[in-house]
Parts: sequence; C-alpha cells; structure tokens
Amino acid sequence: MMKKTKVKLSKSSFIGPLIAALLVAVAIGFTTDRFWDLNNWNNLILSVSITALVAIGSTLVILIGGIDISPGSMIAMLTMILATMVKFEGIPLWAGVLLVVVFGAVLGALNGVLTAYLAIPAFISTLATSSIYKGIAFLFNNGSPIFSVADNLESIFYGKIFDVIPLPLIYVTILYVAFAFYMKYSKLGREIYSVGGNESAAKLSGINVKRVKFYTFIIAGVMAGLGAVLMAARLNSGSPNYGDGLEMSAIAAAVIGGASLSGGVGKIVNTILGAFTIVIVQNGLNLHAVPTSLQSITLGVIIIFAVLIDIWKHLISAAIKKLLAKQAKQVTGTGHTAGW
Amino acid sequence: MSSEVFWRLENITKTFPGVKALSRITLNIYKGEILGLLGENGSGKSTLIKCLSGVYQPDEGCFYKQGKQVRLTTPQVAQQHGIATVYQEFSLVPTLSVTENIFLGKLIKRNGFNDWRRMYEEARAILQKLELNIDPNTVISDLTVAEQQQVEIAKGYTANGSLLILDEPTTALTIPDIKRLHNLLRRLAEQGHTVIYISHRLDEVVQIVDRIAVLRNGVLTGLLDKDEVDINSIIHMMSGKKITEHYPKEKHVRDEVLLEVRHLRTATGVNDVSFKIRRGEVFGLAGLLGSGRTETANALFGIDKVTGGEILLKGQKVRINNPYDAISKGIAYLTENRKTDGLFFNFNGPENTTSAKLKKLLVGKIFKILNLKREDEVFCEYIDSLSIDPLARYQSVNFLSGGNQQKVVIARWLFTEADIFILDEPTQGIDVGAKLEVYKAINQLTKAGKSVLLISSDYTELLSMSDTVGIIRRGVIVKTAPPEELNETAIIEQSITIID
Repeated sequence: MMKKTKVKLSKSSFIGPLIAALLVAVAIGFTTDRFWDLNNWNNLILSVSITALVAIGSTLVILIGGIDISPGSMIAMLTMILATMVKFEGIPLWAGVLLVVVFGAVLGALNGVLTAYLAIPAFISTLATSSIYKGIAFLFNNGSPIFSVADNLESIFYGKIFDVIPLPLIYVTILYVAFAFYMKYSKLGREIYSVGGNESAAKLSGINVKRVKFYTFIIAGVMAGLGAVLMAARLNSGSPNYGDGLEMSAIAAAVIGGASLSGGVGKIVNTILGAFTIVIVQNGLNLHAVPTSLQSITLGVIIIFAVLIDIWKHLISAAIKKLLAKQAKQVTGTGHTAGW
Repeated sequence: MSSEVFWRLENITKTFPGVKALSRITLNIYKGEILGLLGENGSGKSTLIKCLSGVYQPDEGCFYKQGKQVRLTTPQVAQQHGIATVYQEFSLVPTLSVTENIFLGKLIKRNGFNDWRRMYEEARAILQKLELNIDPNTVISDLTVAEQQQVEIAKGYTANGSLLILDEPTTALTIPDIKRLHNLLRRLAEQGHTVIYISHRLDEVVQIVDRIAVLRNGVLTGLLDKDEVDINSIIHMMSGKKITEHYPKEKHVRDEVLLEVRHLRTATGVNDVSFKIRRGEVFGLAGLLGSGRTETANALFGIDKVTGGEILLKGQKVRINNPYDAISKGIAYLTENRKTDGLFFNFNGPENTTSAKLKKLLVGKIFKILNLKREDEVFCEYIDSLSIDPLARYQSVNFLSGGNQQKVVIARWLFTEADIFILDEPTQGIDVGAKLEVYKAINQLTKAGKSVLLISSDYTELLSMSDTVGIIRRGVIVKTAPPEELNETAIIEQSITIID
C-alpha cells in the first residue's frame, strides 16, 4: 500500500505545477503584505476565472494534439451578440445567456468541422476562424462597444454566496471538478486521451477519431461561451476588443500545468494551477506597480521556464535522488559500496 | 577477414540506475569481418551499440582503434572515427535527395558555399563503389525501404575503412532484398570494411556472419567462429536455457467455418483473394511485402475499401466499413507496426488493454462512467493468462519489452471478445523467448475456438504455426495447401513475381 502511494506521488504530474504556483505566491507574499489581503484574493479569483474557464477548452484541444487560438475572438463576438440581444432586441437576460453558450457551441462546432472533417491543421483553421469571429464582432453596433447591457448582468460576475464566496469561484470549482471527473471516468474523456496519444492506434481501436475531435472543439466553444458571459458581466458591456490575448493565457495555463502540445498528456486539475500561476504573477506585478510591458515579458519568461522544468523533470528528479542516496550513504557509513 | 585487430573493446561496463546493462565486455573486432551480435531484448545489445556509436558513455573500460585508445564522446566523434550505425528506424530526411542525405552534417564547401556539384559526384562514386543502382538526385521518399537502407549504408561509408553497425536490418525487407543486402555487406567486407550485424533471425545471421558474439544480461556469454555455429547452442547461450521446441504448434481445428472470403478486391492491390478459416484454425498468408497480404488484412478490418467480392462471417454476408464495424463483428487486428499504430504510450497497461471496447467498462444508468477498478482487475487477469510483465500495471507500455508490448495488444483484442484474429508480423523485432510466448498465445487462441489469420515473412514460422497456408502474389492467392505439402523454397518460388 505504502509502496503504491509512493509510486503515484513520485510520478504525479500534479506536483510540478503546484510547486510553481506556491513558489510564486510565497515570493510575492513576502515582498508585499497587500497580497494576503482578502480583497486582493477576491480580485485574484475574479481575474483568474475567465482565463480558467477558457483554459478547460484549450486543455482539451491540446490533449487531442490540436491547438485552439480562436476563443479570444469568439468571446469578443459573443459579448457583442449578448449585448445586442439583451439591450436592443429585448430578449430576456437568462435567454440571452443561454443562447450565447449555444452560439459558443456552434462556433466551436465550426472549428471542429474544419479541423476534424476537412482536415485543416488546427492552428490554421482556428487562426482563420479567429479572424472571422473578430470581424463579425465588429459588425455589431458599427463596431462600438455596447454599455449598460442589463441591470442584473453584473451580479453574475460580482455576486457572492453568503456575502463571502465570489460566484466565479463557484463556477470555476464546479466546472473543474466536473471536467476532472469527466476526463477520468467518461468514455469520451478516455477517447480524447487515446486520440492524442496515438491517433492511428485510436482509429484501429474502433474510435471515431473525427467525432472525438469534433466534440472536443464543441466543448471548447461552450467554455468560450461561458467565458463570454462572465466577460460581459464584468463591465456590464459588450466590446469587439474583449478577449484580446485571452487564448494565449489559456494555452499558457494548460502548458504551465504540464499539458504536452504533442497530445495525450495533461490533466485538467493542473491547468487551474497553471492559470493561478499566471494570475498570481500578474497580480504581484500589479501590486508592485510594474508597467504592463514588463508584465508581458515576465509571462513569456514563466512559460519558457515552466516548459523547461517539464522537459527536464526526469533529470531534476534523478539529480535529487542521487543527492538523497549520497546523503543516505554518508549517514549509514561505509557499509554500502555498491550502487551508483 | 584479416587478423588485424581493427577495434578493441576492453572491459566496457555501463550501469543504469538499478541495472548493470553491460558488465566488462572485452571483444576484438577484426578488419574486414562480419560479426553477428546476438542477445534477447534487454541483454545489453543496444546499450553496447550505443556506447560504440557515442550515444552513451561507458562507466568503465576503453575503446581502441587500431591499437590506439579513442574516446567516443559524442555520435559525431564516433562518426569521425568511421563508426556508422544504421538503426531500425532510418535517420534519413525523407524530403531531401540522396546526395543531401549522404552529406548531411558533413557538407563540402567551396568559398563558403555548399559545393553540390562535388557532393553529387562523390555520392555517385560511393554508390558506384557499392554497386548500388540509385540516382543521387532521387528524393528519399521515392525510394523503396530496401533502397533507403542502402542509402543509409552509403551514408556511413568512409573511404579508409569504416565500422558499420546494422541494428535489425532485415525486419522490413523481402527475401530478395535480404539477399541483396547480404551481397552488399559481403562486398563491403571484401573491401576491408567491418560490419556488426544484429538480428533476431538466427538462421539469417548464421548465413552471413564470420563470427558470432552472444550477450546475456550484459555479459558476453559466447564467441563463436562460423564453423562452430549451431542454432541450438546459440539459443542456449542467449537464454541460458535450452529451447528444444521452437514452434510449439498445437492443432485445434474444428469444422465450423468462421470466416470466408470470396474473390475479394480492393483498390489498394488485392485482386482476387479467396480463402476459408475454420474455428481453431491458423491460416497462414505468405507473400512478399506489397503482395497484397497486409492489404487483405486492411480490407477485412474496414480500413481499405472493398471494391469487389464478398466477406462471410459464420456464413452470413457482411459489409465492413470501418474498424468499429470490424470490432463489433468480432474481428481483431494486430498490425505490423505495434509502435506506430498499436500502442498508446501515454497509457499504462490497463488503459491500453481496454481501448477497443471501452463500452464494456461502462456502468451506471443515467451517467455512464468507466469502472476503473474493473479495468485494473481485467488487466490483472491478462497478466496471469498471458504472463505479461506485472510492472505494466503501473507503467507506460513504453518501458515494456517488445514481447510484452505485443502481449498487451493481444490482451486488447481478447478483451473485445473477438473470434477472428488477424496477426500481421506478430513476432517482428522481438526476441526468441518472447516469440515463444506469442506462439503460445496463438495456441491459446485456437484452443479457445478462435480463428487466426497469420501473416509473416518468416516462412519457417508460418509453415510451423499454420494449419493451412495460402500464398499471395500480386493480390491473388495462387496456392492454398497444408504446410506439410510446402517448404520455404516452394513459398519463395510461388511468391516471387517474375518481372519481364
């Protein structure tokens, strides 16, 4: 029993991203007291929530060996649609929210058709649709943002349960738990890992590879739809400029969380840690009043380090083991000469 | 072969965490000889080769080239010393030409620019010297596998005598190609080059080499001259035990015909294939690479489209449109290449085993979820029944030996409860002991009343393990007979296409 947990711990991909997030948090916590302020944490959770939701979709797409660079533009387009529907067309807010999520699924399905059935590489197909979605966003309201969409829209984002727990924390928690469970215990979840791990073996196992890819892109679209609702609720508005660069931080969250761009390897739970790492760094830099330019540079450097740690983790763990063995040898004295 | 010691390995030792991969290997390699290197998987063959080609650094021991000590610190250094290694997976760039590949990493320059004219001339000269009929301007992807291998060999050619290491060179070759390769190696040896030849096919090694070195568990257990070589003693040195029965064939043929194929045609090269397989029968399909044997398998599994003829399962005419159809009709397919289209290296043993019938693990009424505990139990049952390495339960299948990997794939198809097993080259690239395990698994299948379609380039294996043999040539089954009425020469004669 003991042995089994040991094997699991040392092989767990969970540790790396967790340590990264904690290290960053401690480093920032030491340099500024305001980091531990409850209000700051509230802010942190609010700013992590949208990236975190979109990152679920990005992780799934990365797991099938693809990449999705359209969610940022998708969100811009969907916030404009939501604002137009609710403010100008008089559609009730709840129906608007529901429709936006459905539209998200449709946009994701379009990505899926292009990538899975028409066999356009995911990078190219989503690059193209990203441009299309962005363009459509500018078609609404002559390309100007729409403000004051609905009175109760903001409460979706700023609402709290028992006056303490921010609602976005609830959404993120529920969705991450649900997806972690889904990826481990559902047929589609397993098939996504299979397709990413070895597409031709998956095909020969009777898995409908195209359909699995198609569904994955739909899920990514739905997550972008949810992200769009939160984005619109944040400033009670829709804008064709919302979501700029969001796809990159979502992909970065997945990659920092250890997802492999070659597919088949990565865990949903680690993605949230990746998202937190990014947001904590950004938050820390904000608290220190570091200019945006430097923040962007820092994010890039973090991504590089996270991936390097992933590539070198076998070497690092081997080095640690060697060190421990050496110490053990010194402790036990001269009795043991064999080994390394 | 001369008596001049070309390379000397002295006390080469290499340890990996937990395993001593090589232990004090001392070996002289003579100029102009072909040395066979044998050993089961995990015996240290690959480690030794990697030390010699500069990929690994030995912990102890030295290499001497013509009496002078050399340190092979990187693959580049080894290459400069004339060591050329041809691995099973070729290292050629498929989109570049033969010349470009031969001079990759050692471009000839003139005034700072690549001197392609001179490189072309030199490539042509090398190919001519090796009596190879390949145009240096051809793009690699337009060459056959055998020709690509010849280019690899040409790439390793250096004028003043090279040490050429061939790792399993014949697994993808047809018999005439193997002959051609052997002739090429002979020519090289006569010109004073030295060859280390690694293969699982003992009979083939015996044909070509001058001496044989046998490794077991990292120790050199035998060094034989050609005239002392005998297969049984080699097997004994390799495995430490006597394998008296290479092919433990059991007969379990029953009357009921499970699969019948009538005048099958596909656009991919199957022109007229007809055969029947009964319950418990092994039908061996013999033919050259590209003769339509793998294409027949692909058609039966719904990968290649059937354009004519019919397939009958238990007397019922069926259409198989895709692998999913094939699986649900009880067909299983172990492909030729378990690495590229068999295994999921991101999964451990259990997930690899259930991938083709995940449905069987689903429980629950509204939310159907995978019963992971059941998955683990299922895999443990296969560990017992197929004697798979128990570590596979917790480890990526990447770390398993070839034989164990093959058994994991067999377990996958047992889990689908298939009746008809198509095995395409099931013993390719695995060692003698593991082959025996695969043969036992075939016996288990037939004993349980399954039908097996066995495709193999190893005709001895095919003749020994089949109940009926069909010979396919240019997409047509030209002869069907029980193995007792056939021999290897007969198969070769029947399967070779005479080109006018």
